[in-house]
Amino acid sequence: MAERRETLKIIGAIGATCSFPYTGNELYGQHQEAGHAAHAVGKQASTGPRKFFTEAEFALLSVLSDLIIPGTDTRGAVQAGVPGYIDLVVDANPEHRPVMREGLAWLASQGFSTMDAAGQIALLTPLSEVLDHGRVKTMPERFFRLAKNLTCDGYFTSQIGMNETLGFKGGSMLAAYPACEIPEH
Amino acid sequence: MAQQKIFDVVVVGSGASGGTLAARLARKGVDVALVEGGPKLNTRTDFNTHAMPYEFANRHIPAMKPGKPGMDSQRTRGAGGKSQTWNAVAWRFSQRDFKGQDWDDGAGENWPIDYADLAPHYDSIEREVGVCGNRDGLIDLPDGIFLPPVPLKCSDVLLQRGAAKLGVKIIHVRKSTLTRPKSGRPACHYCGNCMAGCDVTAKYNSYDVHIIPAMRQTGKLTLFSDTLVREVVLSEGNQVTGVATIDRVTKKQGEIRGRAVVVSCACVQSVGLLQMSKSRRYPEGLANSSGQLGQHFIPHFTGGIEFLLTQLKGKALAEAEGFLDHAYQPSFMHTRTRPYARSFGAQFGYQNRRGVGWARRFPGFGADFKNAVKAAYPAYVVWSPYGEKIPDGRSRIYLDPQSVDEWGLPEVKRELSWSENDWKIFNDMTNWGREIVHASGGEILSVSTVPVPNHELGGCRMGSNPKTSVVDSNCRTHDVSNLYVVDGSVFPSASEKNPTHTMMALAARTAEHLADRLKKGEL
Repeated sequence: MAERRETLKIIGAIGATCSFPYTGNELYGQHQEAGHAAHAVGKQASTGPRKFFTEAEFALLSVLSDLIIPGTDTRGAVQAGVPGYIDLVVDANPEHRPVMREGLAWLASQGFSTMDAAGQIALLTPLSEVLDHGRVKTMPERFFRLAKNLTCDGYFTSQIGMNETLGFKGGSMLAAYPACEIPEH
Repeated sequence: MAQQKIFDVVVVGSGASGGTLAARLARKGVDVALVEGGPKLNTRTDFNTHAMPYEFANRHIPAMKPGKPGMDSQRTRGAGGKSQTWNAVAWRFSQRDFKGQDWDDGAGENWPIDYADLAPHYDSIEREVGVCGNRDGLIDLPDGIFLPPVPLKCSDVLLQRGAAKLGVKIIHVRKSTLTRPKSGRPACHYCGNCMAGCDVTAKYNSYDVHIIPAMRQTGKLTLFSDTLVREVVLSEGNQVTGVATIDRVTKKQGEIRGRAVVVSCACVQSVGLLQMSKSRRYPEGLANSSGQLGQHFIPHFTGGIEFLLTQLKGKALAEAEGFLDHAYQPSFMHTRTRPYARSFGAQFGYQNRRGVGWARRFPGFGADFKNAVKAAYPAYVVWSPYGEKIPDGRSRIYLDPQSVDEWGLPEVKRELSWSENDWKIFNDMTNWGREIVHASGGEILSVSTVPVPNHELGGCRMGSNPKTSVVDSNCRTHDVSNLYVVDGSVFPSASEKNPTHTMMALAARTAEHLADRLKKGEL
């Protein structure tokens, strides 16, 4: 249930209408309940100063988010403003705060900021494998899950993520919708 | 004082049902008061129609622009109601939908009307507001008077070929969205923001297509916005005399009087309003001598499968979002032996492409992870089925007097249970979804395992027996001869089809009936 609860809150913060699978509340209230709460958060939101993370935490988080979604042929998480987004979401969802704070402290204790990229990746890989194949139990594992989830949400809803990386074409204005031509084989 | 005026008809709710009904009445010369709990709005300028998530720090797009009220409440209050944010799917019910009990060995209920009773009204709505679609010649999904359909997306074409291997048809969706200019409204420009409020009104909404033109052209329609109705007022003589109101902003109480009252405030709120309207004669809610008010709550249930079409992986995204879903899988189960009553249909990808929540579940991190999400993006589709729920004797709508809102109105609650029949449909539709995905060369990402309600229906059941239903075949309450209910709450049987087009046809039919009675001096 913990996973489900976390998902519900975060979905609330990024636009309930687009998410799948739905949770009962979101569909049932015409998506309004979750959306309404998120709207209230949005009113306080700005791209201004950080709300939750310290300078040192923010620097670590930035390195981490860029390891999760790095710059490739398109720009990565930091350039897409993902750490600022995570700051906002963690600040608005109190249950995320200890996970992030303890997790970043743990990263620092491992000497993360002085490692080279290969060392950093080696530190994160076992956490990612537990997330993909095992059961998330320990604090570092829960921390990595949250960091990956929020990095994904923030990146793929950013202008860089949507337009540059995914090649999103919505919002176009067309005089006519083109017929699809896929030959039968 | 304006409030002392006695209107011919007071309509509560300005959505697809109330808006259609009020405009149709006004055009017949009937003096109508249309009462809407939310504000007036400007569809053209007030919605965040073309906004992108990255324009907002928390990536949530609010329904309305800053300082513009409407639609943000749980009740979707605002001129036009849910027709402002609907997806516009428009089906005719078939004769089987009206007589499901006969087809399914007595399960569920029949409607007291036939397809032939509503057919002329479907015609007139389609001629008036414009519905696009293809004529497919299906018995279970009657054809109508259609504007040209929108071409299928590449994903739809692949699914259509896959489904055909299983003998399953996938057709063009039919929507109350213009594919040609009509009556001063432009054709759709395929931006994919239908459910954010269509700023050009290519998609039908009752405010711009029905209410505003009727106000301007007839002078017979008066809109009372920001006016909550707390009670339908009953006289000693068992007639309704109007509605008791609360100003949403000032909280001042008032009254709007009429010779007849029509309750059209969307299924759950319509039932709630009647339940709030208690009197000595009707201690359990107005027009509830049968005890059936609030019973037989039969919302659709959905589930779903999200999947990737292998052929589209790694390709550049082929198309813009269009008007969301372009294809539909109509019910085919009536033609097959099955161990349950009723059926399901399915839509493809009506969610837009702006949420990529599924990316979280892709394994790993780093460049490989990013590239895997990128490759999957153009191949991603959601299959969203809708199943029909038959009345189960437990699911209901009721008031909670312990929970009161800022206007002093009790909360209207829903109790919902899933019956054995519901689960059988749910499991079977999910299995069919899997098979269609596999036959189309798809990889399943996730399968929804619990039914989720949508399209609220039932609670004021229509029927010919006053002991087992609330309204008669004209949407008139059995108990009070000048009180009507016109919206999804009157559906005795839900069908698997999106309901709004049928509500609008019922509203058109009720408008004729009411105008007729007024002419005869019966009201």
